[in-house]
Amino acid sequence: MTQLQDLATVIRSKNAGPLTLSLDLMFPSEESYRIALRSSSLTPEAIGRLYDTAPEKISVTSYDAARAIKIAMPRKIVSGSPGDRDVYGAQQHVPLLGLEL
Amino acid sequence: MSAVQALLKRRPSTLRVLSASGQLGYGIPHKALAAGLARHPDFIGCDMGSVDPGPAYLGSGEMATSPAVTRGDLAAVLTAARRLNIPLIIGTAGTSGAGPHLDATLDMIRSIAAEHKLHFRLASIRADLKADRVIQALEANTLVPLGGDLSVSAQDLRASTHIVGQMGCAPFEQALALEPDVIIAGRACDTAVFASIPKMLGFNMANVMHMAKIIECTSICCEPGGRDAMLATLDAKGFELESMNPDRRATPLSVAAHSLYEQADPVSFTEPDGTLKVDTATYRALDDRRTYVSGATWQDATHTTIKVEASMLVGHRAVLLAGTADPKVIQRLPELIATVESTTRALVPGEYQIYPRLYGIDGVYPQQNRNVSTPVRESFILIEVIAQTPDLALAAAKTFKQFLLHQGFNGRQCTGGNLAFPFTPPELAAGKAYRFSAYHVMPAADHRELFPVTIETL
Repeated sequence: MTQLQDLATVIRSKNAGPLTLSLDLMFPSEESYRIALRSSSLTPEAIGRLYDTAPEKISVTSYDAARAIKIAMPRKIVSGSPGDRDVYGAQQHVPLLGLEL
Repeated sequence: MSAVQALLKRRPSTLRVLSASGQLGYGIPHKALAAGLARHPDFIGCDMGSVDPGPAYLGSGEMATSPAVTRGDLAAVLTAARRLNIPLIIGTAGTSGAGPHLDATLDMIRSIAAEHKLHFRLASIRADLKADRVIQALEANTLVPLGGDLSVSAQDLRASTHIVGQMGCAPFEQALALEPDVIIAGRACDTAVFASIPKMLGFNMANVMHMAKIIECTSICCEPGGRDAMLATLDAKGFELESMNPDRRATPLSVAAHSLYEQADPVSFTEPDGTLKVDTATYRALDDRRTYVSGATWQDATHTTIKVEASMLVGHRAVLLAGTADPKVIQRLPELIATVESTTRALVPGEYQIYPRLYGIDGVYPQQNRNVSTPVRESFILIEVIAQTPDLALAAAKTFKQFLLHQGFNGRQCTGGNLAFPFTPPELAAGKAYRFSAYHVMPAADHRELFPVTIETL
């Protein structure tokens, strides 16, 4: 088994607007990109368990030209609202680092 | 002849677009800007705002950037555009693009013009929406949250300090028809800043919007990414991208990857004027630091929708900042915080919310089980209080501080105090607290009237 952090070159998170969290995974080669695309650890169900979010609220899309996978889901707290811990959403990728593919 | 008139007269078959800043006001790297100007761009575009920094700026009407640095950036692009007699377009003035942000930006532009003895035609476009207009959409069930859960009420909209609509190309086209030299817009789509002029000149909209989407962030689409000016050269078939910093390479992969940035969908982008799809786009290396892009598709919108952003006051914030390194305190920290919160509430009556964040434990990620399982050497304790008055917020923070400092527990050895304060006072008034009260889309057949354009001669 390989961990995502050993396979991807970029594992990042950022808001896509204050209501949406977006996570980007980018890969160094066609081979590593295909491994991730095939993995059952990157389905909406698997991501949903990791982020405690219903799978139907999670979208997983890919863009071949960038060898990239995009995950998007609603933020639990709207950016900057009372109780938020990450206004830009830039540190929400950490649960993905050790993900076994 | 104004800069826009001159450009219309020349009607270049290839158009050089210089993106000088992805968020004006933090300092524009001079060298790359100068390199870009030396390439004789046909116009300069700058994005000046974003929703990223949160609801405080839209709510308060203040800029996120420092006035001195902002003025310096504006002076750099304004004097350059006037020297070359090319149009300058700036979108989302003053961070959030509401009335106060636009007015403060226009004041700076006028003062720079006076200082440098510049004379030109200045168009400005307002983006403020009346609460009633948005409530109309709410009552017609056509106000839809953009991508997540945010319920909105007529009461919240009326209570919002500022509401803005995000304009597409149409208001810019109205402004361009007045043949200005400079356009300063309130809240605007980043793409509209860069797309309106090539659209006016008749370039292919798929290429225009794809180009605009990429260069609005300047050199972030490069390897390594950065904030240096970016040059796009549009022709009849596509566009070429080149960073004005020689160390930044626009490669097919880095440019393609940029379409993911801050987007929920990497291949399809809905704008007020239509939808851009990049799944068919091709990216070809011209050399090791220039890429040629073509092949995206564009579908004009059948009806215009605009994004609505609103922010409202939720109270006044005070914060307590403290650290601890005692293993026994760290071990019991979540429990101590809960106890001290009860004590504080008993001693300081009134309505307020307390949000503790214990860095090293749950500062960034809330934990279901707040027991400390991994060894934590030090913890930073941030206690945030939001109350209806600044005095009450600060009163709660002060009492919280003193009781957390001296809270006893079984086995405590550090009877001098549980906390290390970095400075005094460790509890600080942090100003007004806001939240986004709307981040929605609504149909806007009346969009031409929603963004009024005015022109003045300086």
